[in-house]
Amino acid sequence: MTSFKRSFGDSHGSSELSSKVFLRSSKGKCTKIVRELYLRRDIPCSSKICTRCLADIKGDSYGRTKPFVLSSNAPVNDTIKVPHYIVPDTNVFLRCMDVLDHAAITDVIVLQTVLDEVRARSLPLYNRLRALVASGEKRFYVFHNEFRSETYVRREPGETINDRNDRAVRRGVQWYHEHLKEVARDSGKSIAVVMVSNDKGNLEKGKRVGVTCCNIKDYVSGMKNSDELLDMISAALEDENAKAAKGDMLYPEYYSMSKMMTGVKAGTLHQGKFSISPYNFLEGSVHVPSFDRPLLILGRENINRSVHGDQVVVRVLPRDQWKHPSSKIIEEETMTKNDNPEVEQFEAIETEQERKALIDEAKLSQGAIGEGKPQPTARVVGVIKRNWRYYVGHLDPSSAPSVGGRSQRNVFLIPMDKKIPKIRLRTRQASELFGKRIVVSIDAWDRTSRYPSGHFVRSLGAVETKEAETEALLLEWDVQYRPFPKSVLDCLPKEGHEWRIPQDPEDPRLHQRVDYRGLLVCSIDPLGCQDIDDALHASRMPNGNYEVGVHIADVTHFVKPNTAMDDEASVRGTTVYLVDKRIDMLPMLLGTDLCSLKPYVERFAFSVVWEITENGDIVGTKFSKSMIKSREAFSYEQAQLRIDDKNQNDELTQGMRTLLMLSKRLRQKRMDAGALNLASPEVKIESESETSDPIDVKTKEMLETNSLVEEFMLLANISVAEKIYEAFPQTAMLRRHGAPPASNFEELQNQLRVTRGLTLLTDSSKALADSLDRCVDPSNPFFNTLVRILATRCMVSAEYFCSGTQGYPEYRHYGLASEIYTHFTSPIRRYADVVAHRQLAAAIGYEPLHPTLHSKDKLEGICSNINNRHRNAQMAGRASVEYYVGQALRGKVIEEQGYLMRIFSNGFVVFVPRFGVEGLIRVKDLAPVEPKSEFDAENYRLTVEGSTGSWSVALFDRVVVKTPVHLTGSSNDAAGGTADEVCIGQSATVLHLRGSLQFWKRWVQYRMHLAISVSIAIKRLSVEFLYTPDTSGSAAANFPQVMGHMAKPG
Amino acid sequence: MSRYEILSPEGLRTDGRRWNEIRRFSAKMATTTAADGSSYVEHGNTKVICSVNGPIEPRAANARSSERATITVDVCFAAFSGTDRKKRGKGDKYSTRPIKSPNLPTYQGGGGALLMGRAQSKRRVLEMQSALSRTFASTLLTALHPRSEVHISLHILSQDGSILATCVNAATLALVDAGVPMTDYVTACTVASYTNPDESDEPLLDMNSAEEMDLPGITLATVGRSDRISLLQLETKVRLERLEGMLAVGLDGCGKIRQLLDEVVREHGNEMARMGTL
Repeated sequence: MTSFKRSFGDSHGSSELSSKVFLRSSKGKCTKIVRELYLRRDIPCSSKICTRCLADIKGDSYGRTKPFVLSSNAPVNDTIKVPHYIVPDTNVFLRCMDVLDHAAITDVIVLQTVLDEVRARSLPLYNRLRALVASGEKRFYVFHNEFRSETYVRREPGETINDRNDRAVRRGVQWYHEHLKEVARDSGKSIAVVMVSNDKGNLEKGKRVGVTCCNIKDYVSGMKNSDELLDMISAALEDENAKAAKGDMLYPEYYSMSKMMTGVKAGTLHQGKFSISPYNFLEGSVHVPSFDRPLLILGRENINRSVHGDQVVVRVLPRDQWKHPSSKIIEEETMTKNDNPEVEQFEAIETEQERKALIDEAKLSQGAIGEGKPQPTARVVGVIKRNWRYYVGHLDPSSAPSVGGRSQRNVFLIPMDKKIPKIRLRTRQASELFGKRIVVSIDAWDRTSRYPSGHFVRSLGAVETKEAETEALLLEWDVQYRPFPKSVLDCLPKEGHEWRIPQDPEDPRLHQRVDYRGLLVCSIDPLGCQDIDDALHASRMPNGNYEVGVHIADVTHFVKPNTAMDDEASVRGTTVYLVDKRIDMLPMLLGTDLCSLKPYVERFAFSVVWEITENGDIVGTKFSKSMIKSREAFSYEQAQLRIDDKNQNDELTQGMRTLLMLSKRLRQKRMDAGALNLASPEVKIESESETSDPIDVKTKEMLETNSLVEEFMLLANISVAEKIYEAFPQTAMLRRHGAPPASNFEELQNQLRVTRGLTLLTDSSKALADSLDRCVDPSNPFFNTLVRILATRCMVSAEYFCSGTQGYPEYRHYGLASEIYTHFTSPIRRYADVVAHRQLAAAIGYEPLHPTLHSKDKLEGICSNINNRHRNAQMAGRASVEYYVGQALRGKVIEEQGYLMRIFSNGFVVFVPRFGVEGLIRVKDLAPVEPKSEFDAENYRLTVEGSTGSWSVALFDRVVVKTPVHLTGSSNDAAGGTADEVCIGQSATVLHLRGSLQFWKRWVQYRMHLAISVSIAIKRLSVEFLYTPDTSGSAAANFPQVMGHMAKPG
Repeated sequence: MSRYEILSPEGLRTDGRRWNEIRRFSAKMATTTAADGSSYVEHGNTKVICSVNGPIEPRAANARSSERATITVDVCFAAFSGTDRKKRGKGDKYSTRPIKSPNLPTYQGGGGALLMGRAQSKRRVLEMQSALSRTFASTLLTALHPRSEVHISLHILSQDGSILATCVNAATLALVDAGVPMTDYVTACTVASYTNPDESDEPLLDMNSAEEMDLPGITLATVGRSDRISLLQLETKVRLERLEGMLAVGLDGCGKIRQLLDEVVREHGNEMARMGTL
């Protein structure tokens, strides 16, 4: 008889352990977890000087092995004067990832203990670390110390898990130390191992066991570019020791996670995404499901260290503290310009000035009782997830150093994104960084500190240079702008530009491809377009119907799934168009040549061909991969001229006329179904051909041909959406546009009713479209478009989604009034279209679908990425336009009409359609001394007491603005001083369009769509924009400052 | 994303093994005298006791066949074997009724083996019993004992993945101990298919429970030294082109297990010779 006793002796060679843990869940259920660990001796040290470990290299199932990573030529610096590898502990990775990311740090051993801890604490940091290891450039190596028998550490009774892990790290370092010593005997080359930590206790214990230890700061300060690296060390690390000393807490403490969760579950607390008002930095709001209107969060104490974008938990304040949203503009820059970054003001979180601003606010909202209910207010009690990223900005000139030198000092960084508060930065390079665009990251926001603290990441270059501004903009909108790596370029066809359609009809690439080369296909695009996605044709069929074809570039023929090129495209998600630059999603060779449906050459295409009756009814649809030969590439203007020219009667022109006729029918049908007409004409920047300096701004025109192309693209997208949904009900890539909640329109409805007596119906898209059509003012042709802009801003944005994640009714595209929609027609510049192409190809049986497109999870990941990229690309494009508008108008005197879009108690926002930008005019800038003003909130009317009598402006009014050259000097005073001279004869009131483009930027973020504006002329005011030439020393002027002068209504 | 990396980029699994390594394997034969043959197998942390009675007079009428012996299998999970202690209800006596090999309905078993409801786990047990009895029906020389029954009873004391495979191995040993005539050893192991970040696949030999939870995998049994497969079970979805690689690794794994079983049997034989039992 043998016993059942555990048979340790039987195992061969390796000793293994298993640990048994009993876990008790919150419900009292007991769970037993047993984990086995197989300790081994064949995990290599991966040092290139080591010959002993070579035998331990084991391949994977394909026999692939990984070469050794750690260099035989290890780095040396002033702190550690011998060649060495470093072993950072968990805290160093968590706090100083940016330092480790720097090119100066190489040959790093990442212990498994540390890696697991990093993973448990922060997945993003873990992913960054894994990417560093995978790239191989910086020679990071993951050593699985927990699996090696010599380095495994058993937890002692009574030892905390942290102590055990620290011990495991020390043990690992010790082993490396001894191992490399032995290796040195063979090779004669000695390399030390240094444990880098920030924990005093750990360092001391390390020294005791004979491990070379070093504090991260000491380590970095021995390096060549130590100043730069020292700045990157997280402020949080430094504060850890100092924190205990400070007694005064400025902000209320956050609730514990469990308390928040319980509260949210019970409905006493609410969770949502925090956003800051673009006009008032002390007013935030949170959208929560249980309230149909957003919860207002007023004042620093209530905002309680939340930053725009964070996931927060809030507590609703009692009803008597409910307020109206702000009708006043409060800017952080002016409010807090005297704060000293070196000294923390302890007296209060809110300065006297801020409190006054808020009290004024409160009075105002109390006064306006008549109108509507006050909005619920709330206080932030905790943050679930910070949404911090890198921020681009410039140093606050008011915190400029009085003396130069390299001593460390605190400075403020003013982020470009005005919704982000100032960030306190400790730096040794302050004097160099002034006047530069710099990238920083926020580390922490303590209760003791009024501002968040962060650290320097890198400098982009001087403020207002084209390169720095462009890069800043790309960084701020997270656009991938680095050149394509070699692995991507390797995926391109070898023939390069010489690639041709195969002539041999037996070629496998022509398999199942329809030959449409005989058709009269042409493309219509904006002038100068190189990446031609689409081409069209139309012809009359014998039965009287029309055959219409849309041919889309066959990108998926070149971009195969699961290649480096495909991965890169899916990360980029979209091509980004800036004024002077295009950041491609696909390499140039494909985008502008091989895929592009250029005229006179044969290209592969993916075609949708319909049979359409004279009335625009669709009789049949065919999808096929094809070959085409475009006869001509028109610009919209050329196409329009050709259609209008009665003398041209060739077949191609006839085809285009047919297309135009059918497109009008289709458009009418769409309009009848309730599609919204929210056209968004854009601004075009004209630049000098050689220097590409912007010289003028023009509004883009809308021609009939624009809508011709648009109409057929919509039709193709809808047809494809139906087809791929039918084939893949769970995983089709679709696009939806949700219906906006009625409460979004409340404010606009009220404004229209009060000022014009108009009503806006929002029950359905049809009702909205009809009532928008009725919003006209005979005396002002622009009014309708202005209302359309405002209506557009009330809507939610369209998004890509995977069909399995929503119910069919949710697929609806509100704006287009279509039941189902996708993007198919621009695969060169949008990744969603690439996915749709693959799915359509599979749906028609052309090729099997790649497994990644079968997986709902993968698709959801793609969707959320491209939604994000798409939005960012739009924002970056607009920000670029606005920067160039500023550059183009610089130093010119232009008079232009503008329209009041929003009105506050102390200022108003003017939209200038010709430049496509908005500007803020504040009452206090109208004259040297702030004129008295009265705000009638119910009627949206602001009356200003000028020096020669009062005048008033109301919402939707037309004004005229002018842009004269301005003098230097401290902005406010100088503007006031020149005002009287400029405004001829009239006792002038002066407007400042302060902050100018920089300020407009934050509205850009606020609005999703920029549409045309129309307006009603009630008052005619003359306003002037003044551009300050770059005020030397004032780094605040990241864009030319715009000043405004306004004269009395004439 | 799971809490652990199932396979780290360095090629190590959660418990420190590489892709082609099986867990610690130890086995004993003749652990109880109450049955004709018995065995105890520990495979990693999966532990199974098996006892075999037979050939005996069939206990139920429907287990009688005039041509061959029928093989009946009982599988019983101990209440303490999993992560949660199992509460057993009234109608839950699934281990009492023996299952006859032919005429069995086949059941669709679910994946995620360990965390199943009662109804599903009952079904799963039925399926295991059926799979085991079919596997051994093809290897035992049942025609030598018509109108009799070979009863295999398996008790799972601890579950940590590859349970069916361990049951097969334990049953093989117990059948050898009982002296039931058979052509060769039936040995089994499992293979998972891991998807690398670049979509290439990596077969992982011998799944533990964490891997079983996260990855698709097959259970595979072969007869003797040949690559003849007598059991192949796939409870989850896996891409067809991966199956071949998984099978190749699994066949090697079964060969390795066969060696281990063979050692155990020879050791046991020597022991018996020393004790003078033979």
